[in-house]
Amino acid sequence: MSDGFTQPLTLTLGHLYPDQLNLYGDRGNILTLRRRCQLRGIELRIVGLGIGDALAPDEYDILFIGGGQDKEQAPVAQDLHEMKGIGLWAAIEDDMPVLAVCGGFQLLAHYYRPAEGPDMQGLGVFDAWTIHKGARTARCIGNIAISWNGQTLVGFENHGGRTYLGTAKPLGKVLKGYGNNAEDSTEGAIYRNAYGTYLHGSLLPKNPHFADYLIKLALQRKYRSDFDTGQEKPEEFNGHIHIDQMPVDDSRQLESTTDNIASSLLPLDDLLEWEAHASVLVRLGLRNEATAVLTAQRMRKG
Amino acid sequence: MRKQRPSQSMPPKIDGEQQESQNNPSQSTNTVPQRQPNRKKRRQHVLRAGLAVVAGRAAGAISRRLHLGGGTSVVGIVAQRIYPEIIEHLATQIEYGTVIVTGTNGKTTTSGFIATILRDSGLRVWHNREGSNLMRGVASLFVIRAQPNGQMRRSGKRAISILEIDEATIPQIVKAIEPRVAVFNNLFRDQLDRYGEVDSIISHWRKAISQMPATTTLVLNADDPSIAHLATGFSGKVLYYGIDDPSLDLQKQRGDSEQYQVSDARTCSNCGHEYRYDLRFYSHIGHYRCTSCELQRPQPDIRATQVQLDSFDRHRITVEHTGQQHEIIVPLPGLYNVYNALAAITAAQAVNTDWQSIITGIEQSKPAFGRGELIQAGDRTIRLLLAKNPTGFNEVLRTVFSEGIARHVLFILNDNIADGQDVSWIWDVDFERAVGHTQSLVVSGTRALDLALRLKYAGIPQKEMTIIPYMPLKGEWGTHQTRQQRGANKKQKKRQTLADPEQLTSQIANSYGLKSALYSKHPLVKLSLLSLRIQVY
Repeated sequence: MSDGFTQPLTLTLGHLYPDQLNLYGDRGNILTLRRRCQLRGIELRIVGLGIGDALAPDEYDILFIGGGQDKEQAPVAQDLHEMKGIGLWAAIEDDMPVLAVCGGFQLLAHYYRPAEGPDMQGLGVFDAWTIHKGARTARCIGNIAISWNGQTLVGFENHGGRTYLGTAKPLGKVLKGYGNNAEDSTEGAIYRNAYGTYLHGSLLPKNPHFADYLIKLALQRKYRSDFDTGQEKPEEFNGHIHIDQMPVDDSRQLESTTDNIASSLLPLDDLLEWEAHASVLVRLGLRNEATAVLTAQRMRKG
Repeated sequence: MRKQRPSQSMPPKIDGEQQESQNNPSQSTNTVPQRQPNRKKRRQHVLRAGLAVVAGRAAGAISRRLHLGGGTSVVGIVAQRIYPEIIEHLATQIEYGTVIVTGTNGKTTTSGFIATILRDSGLRVWHNREGSNLMRGVASLFVIRAQPNGQMRRSGKRAISILEIDEATIPQIVKAIEPRVAVFNNLFRDQLDRYGEVDSIISHWRKAISQMPATTTLVLNADDPSIAHLATGFSGKVLYYGIDDPSLDLQKQRGDSEQYQVSDARTCSNCGHEYRYDLRFYSHIGHYRCTSCELQRPQPDIRATQVQLDSFDRHRITVEHTGQQHEIIVPLPGLYNVYNALAAITAAQAVNTDWQSIITGIEQSKPAFGRGELIQAGDRTIRLLLAKNPTGFNEVLRTVFSEGIARHVLFILNDNIADGQDVSWIWDVDFERAVGHTQSLVVSGTRALDLALRLKYAGIPQKEMTIIPYMPLKGEWGTHQTRQQRGANKKQKKRQTLADPEQLTSQIANSYGLKSALYSKHPLVKLSLLSLRIQVY
């Protein structure tokens, strides 16, 4: 068991409905997570979860759901309820990082009410709901920038439905663009470590800080929590792990693991990423923010 | 021999229409009530049309004179303003009717092929070129060829119009024109921000087809599941075309490295179950059948039984029609251009063109702007390739890197309205295919940085790319800097440039637009632009 920690870190990403929900370059988010893990020696396995597949929360460390067309979303909504609902809930309550973009975001809220036809039931992870106000209301289309954690996130949005938040916390505040509903300048939603957003374009390539944040959440959850529970609450493992098999020099290994996590997220050379990020900010007329982003990068470099 | 008498093989459309209206007056008055107006009304219409023509052409002349633009679309805008039904009014005068061409990819190339074929067969061809494919573009095309008396030039005798129509404009155009032939080539995800989702296009098209008269011939791609079943419920004649060459199957071609393919038609339009493919050529194009219901690829009337790459930029295809075989050279690269040629051949068949005109017409076609266009610059050959969506781009990349020769490549990505403002589709393109196949790589356009980022994540080191952004991206733009800060920044920059000559290069590259880069004196920039062999737009 003690070799376990000298081995490279591994994470498993569950990509929900890769065939049905892949409309807006969602592949870019997956490619970004994979590459950013790879560069730090973390192995990221990617498992596609299609219609009919069950979701066993223990097998994954991070989940991703993209966006799709209305026609494709209906069978997905049904499958989400029947096959993956319980597993997804368990994973989210267990603080698994989840990123849901566009259609995926809508499916994790309470419901989607199309202009015509019956409501599409969501999982209700986010206390929010989406209403499509008919063909007369314009779609929310365009570049968008929001503030998140004191930094900016940029992307492209294209959605007909307006999402309204109940008690759910928004992901960020809209700086330029439409956001959830073009009314209250909220964008996205957060519940525990689940993040819903309308930003694609793709989201993660141009927002490396957000990509790293998700990776960090996944690593912390997988590696630190194993240890924390093992050390502080061994009674939880009754019957599963024998005390005599527990490693003796706990503290040293705990250190090495946390070191490992810290070092595994060494900063990468992200100048191009940030320049692309800043170029969207500039296009939106947010020059001060663009300046801030670029100077922060130069400071870090120089 | 080639210049056949069209009056024999192609009965004028007008005759057919008149017969139609006699046989079935209720239908014809339903669809186009203004066909038989009373005399007074008719004269009013002629007057209005004449006025519209004069005003439109005057506006065009003024706009050209003042260099406000090409002066083409303004003609249509003004004419339509004065007489909204100007397209209807003029289109009915064209003796051999109208062929409309639509689809996500290949509209321009296909209509170009049809135009050359029909010109070859001796008709006067009116063809809207290079993207003037909205209503106003069509109106301009007609108005420019009309006279102040509201009549088409030479009253439209021996004329046929070939209209490349934007996907979303089809419903409007079908309301104004009863097409003689309507070609639907393919449907892929494209500019989702502009058109909405793929499904909404299909429903628009179905509606438009249901409004077409039975005299229209539909020309459909049998290999595209979202196109092949558009004709359900249509009472007129339908012709299908497709490829029947099993050696083109993707799996057979590159079994080892199956590339990522975007599919935009995954499930049956009939029952919603997934399609199974016996052969798959690219994206969702191939020989499909539904796993649950009866729906499957229709048997094509015109089929390419053999498709061979003759050289980098041309195909030799064998086309079979009613048991007869014809060998045709398609002078363009890419399998998608074989489909465009087949679409054109089928459309030409629908208006009874002889095979000799078809064969020479296809062979003599020149590539449309940016669609495989060749430019000779000294001893270098530059090829311009345009792509607007993942499938189009994947096919372009496949063409460019098919021979395993490392090439000089310039990628340009723009996000202007006409290009589509959403660039997220580049993440669905297989740029991984380009890794290790480029001698030099330059990235430019309004979204150069997005594209460079995509290439970086595809595995191309940033050092191997020269990035020329549309405008220089400087950190100093902010207005909230104090003078001191600015001074410090300048000093820092100077120090960097002195310390690192490579930095200088990138700064120079960064501070020029593409246009100025062409005239740049800096050796590296100049070299990479001069040595281009292929530009992939």
